[in-house]
Amino acid sequence: MKKQIIKIICLLLISPMLFSFCGIYVSKSDGTLKNKASQVILVRDGEQTVVTMYNDFKGDPKDFAMVVPVPVLLERKDIRVVSPAIFQKLNAYSSPRLVEYYDENPCYSRQWEDKESVNEKSIMVTSADSYRIAKKNKSGVTIEAQYLVGEYDILILSAKESSGLKRWLLENGYKIPSKAEEVLEPYIKSNLKFFVAKVNAKQAGKIQKGSFLSPLQISFSSPKFILPIRLGMANGDGDQDLIIYSFTRQGRIESVNYRNVEMPTGNNIPLFVKDNFDRFYGETFAHKWEQEGKNIALLEYAWDVTPVNPVKCDPCVGNPPVDQDIVQAGVWWLNNFNQQNFQQTFFTRLHVRYNRNSFPQDLQFQVTPNQTAFQARYVVTHPAEGDLTCDQGKAYLKELKVKRRKELRNLVYLTGSTIEDYLSNTEPDSDNDVAYQTLLPEVEQERESERTIFPGMALIAVVLVTGAGLMRWKGMI
Amino acid sequence: MYQIHLFKDPRHFQILFQSSFLIYGIVFLHWSSPLWIYAAYFITGIVMHTICEAGFTSKQLPVFSNKWWAKWWMGMPSALISSYGLCLFLKTNTPEVAISASAIAILSKYVIRINGKHLFNPSALGIVLAVLWSGKAWINPGQWGSGAFLLAGILTVGVIVVTKVQKLDVSLAFLGTYAILLFSRQALYLNWPIDFFTQTISTGAVLVFSFFMISDPKTTPNHPVARIIWAMMVASIAFYMTSFRYIVGAPVFALVLSQMLVPLFDQLFLGTNFQWKYFTASTLKPARS
Repeated sequence: MKKQIIKIICLLLISPMLFSFCGIYVSKSDGTLKNKASQVILVRDGEQTVVTMYNDFKGDPKDFAMVVPVPVLLERKDIRVVSPAIFQKLNAYSSPRLVEYYDENPCYSRQWEDKESVNEKSIMVTSADSYRIAKKNKSGVTIEAQYLVGEYDILILSAKESSGLKRWLLENGYKIPSKAEEVLEPYIKSNLKFFVAKVNAKQAGKIQKGSFLSPLQISFSSPKFILPIRLGMANGDGDQDLIIYSFTRQGRIESVNYRNVEMPTGNNIPLFVKDNFDRFYGETFAHKWEQEGKNIALLEYAWDVTPVNPVKCDPCVGNPPVDQDIVQAGVWWLNNFNQQNFQQTFFTRLHVRYNRNSFPQDLQFQVTPNQTAFQARYVVTHPAEGDLTCDQGKAYLKELKVKRRKELRNLVYLTGSTIEDYLSNTEPDSDNDVAYQTLLPEVEQERESERTIFPGMALIAVVLVTGAGLMRWKGMI
Repeated sequence: MYQIHLFKDPRHFQILFQSSFLIYGIVFLHWSSPLWIYAAYFITGIVMHTICEAGFTSKQLPVFSNKWWAKWWMGMPSALISSYGLCLFLKTNTPEVAISASAIAILSKYVIRINGKHLFNPSALGIVLAVLWSGKAWINPGQWGSGAFLLAGILTVGVIVVTKVQKLDVSLAFLGTYAILLFSRQALYLNWPIDFFTQTISTGAVLVFSFFMISDPKTTPNHPVARIIWAMMVASIAFYMTSFRYIVGAPVFALVLSQMLVPLFDQLFLGTNFQWKYFTASTLKPARS
């Protein structure tokens, strides 16, 4: 019935936004995005960790600066730069997807060219800050090491007390937030070092205007599997988005101090959403995030990307990562023939939207043996075309009506918003009878009430108490 | 003052609470484990309980005699509680692992015994072995989220206090020590804002562990003082494991380690073995305090 031809519409939204990982920097985003976002790749096996931080900074390279708390003192060999293309590739590969199906006209057996097309929702990245040349080393701050890696000057700092570190950072041109101290102190006491990077003055001249800075990749061995996001929200200025791509040998990564929730997936949604897929996904994400209480990590994609695995996505929205990409992302075990299943590689994509109130702790992860594949996938269906006056055709239209009502209900349920906005610019796509516009009022009437946790809990409590009461009455307990 | 005896057997209370946590997890927290996993824990638990009751029965108690069935029925709530413990903590996608964890949990009660008491909490042992040996199972304290469970914790303590259904000494000694240690490190020493600490302590995992796992009177020392000291020791080990070794689900591992020392505690402090029993008729009458 439904043959599929893949048609890919890429709506890459990687627009000129500026970078901040664990950003303590002011956003200079172009304003099209509500949230600030960063991207990071985590590779973990045993205690060995490789972290790659994406860098979409497009301003004057001299203005770029970043501060990342790291658990160990990094050596020169532990730091390298990689091509930014890897992030675009991983993003394209793992983005939430829209799949299109075409209904066949039941009245005549003409072979329709059924299509499945895939539409991509993509990511945003943000923000930066200025950096001036370091002056003196006062106030208990020790420069443990200093390296030139790619276009970056990198310092590894350790500090004795937070006010000294804060002063040092301020004196050296890092506009750290006024409240950063509340985070710096615990970090210092937890023995963390500070990885500080700026663009080398000589190299800065060589960088072409408008080209990306290279992502920085650091590797270290530590039992801590943490992403320090707290520094970035010291000032608590709103929600920030973080996309985490991870590669492990065992399976999915999970947050252990926040709840892991899967994005809704496989839902049939109205055809008109096709033109607004980005907006649809944005709203679906925001709605799910609020519904689940905000302090969660949302799973958007999980798949076995072992080089020998032939099916790395279904459907694919972007080319799956090949050996080279995986190695570039920081995976070191692909050519380690001594290990059993040395090529085994599992990919996870998590999306976290954090703010100060909902996320009091840094993100803490664990590698799990869970290899269940997952993708955030939504389906639109084109109605059959042509004459539908035969009996089967009439039956089909009836069925279509039911299906479309359900699609509208799904849309409301997923996005939590009203549908009229989507419909206002859309022409009815078919006969009046089954057009979404006609069905909308019916659906609005029966609109499902929002599911909330507390009425549910109350219901369970009532059932349990009644049950216990009954059992007591019957003398069973 | 009248004392309420809602539950004749503390295990009924445990089953009731654990089942509500499980339903809450599946329905409202959208735990993503397949449902068969829960079925596997329960069915294996019940089957293994039957097999063990038959295999380890005494000569005076022929298998399938009425008295044997009565004993079988008496032990059933314990088997169910073990299965609930696994449902609430252990995650896996492999049926063999789920089945063996549940089987080992029950079997350990009959096989690993010292001084007439089984050594390990069945579900804790099942969890630890499944995680460490199979490599195909894991624990995730993050699955509970946090916040809402503060309410559930108050409710649990409230019900226990009002119904006097089980002793609170071990639970409170553990919870108190664990909370004080975490608070001292996170809030006082590292100086994290206070919500850092509340996030750690107000998770469902700590709650379920304190009131439904460590509190098992069969696997704690007999003497009241020994129980308190032992619970504080579990808390200290769990604190060390979680804060300095970054072990996920540290309390469960700490519990299994500490249970190996229970016979030693029983040697040092002499007390009486605990027996599950229904309250006798006299205790069902309103008691005056």
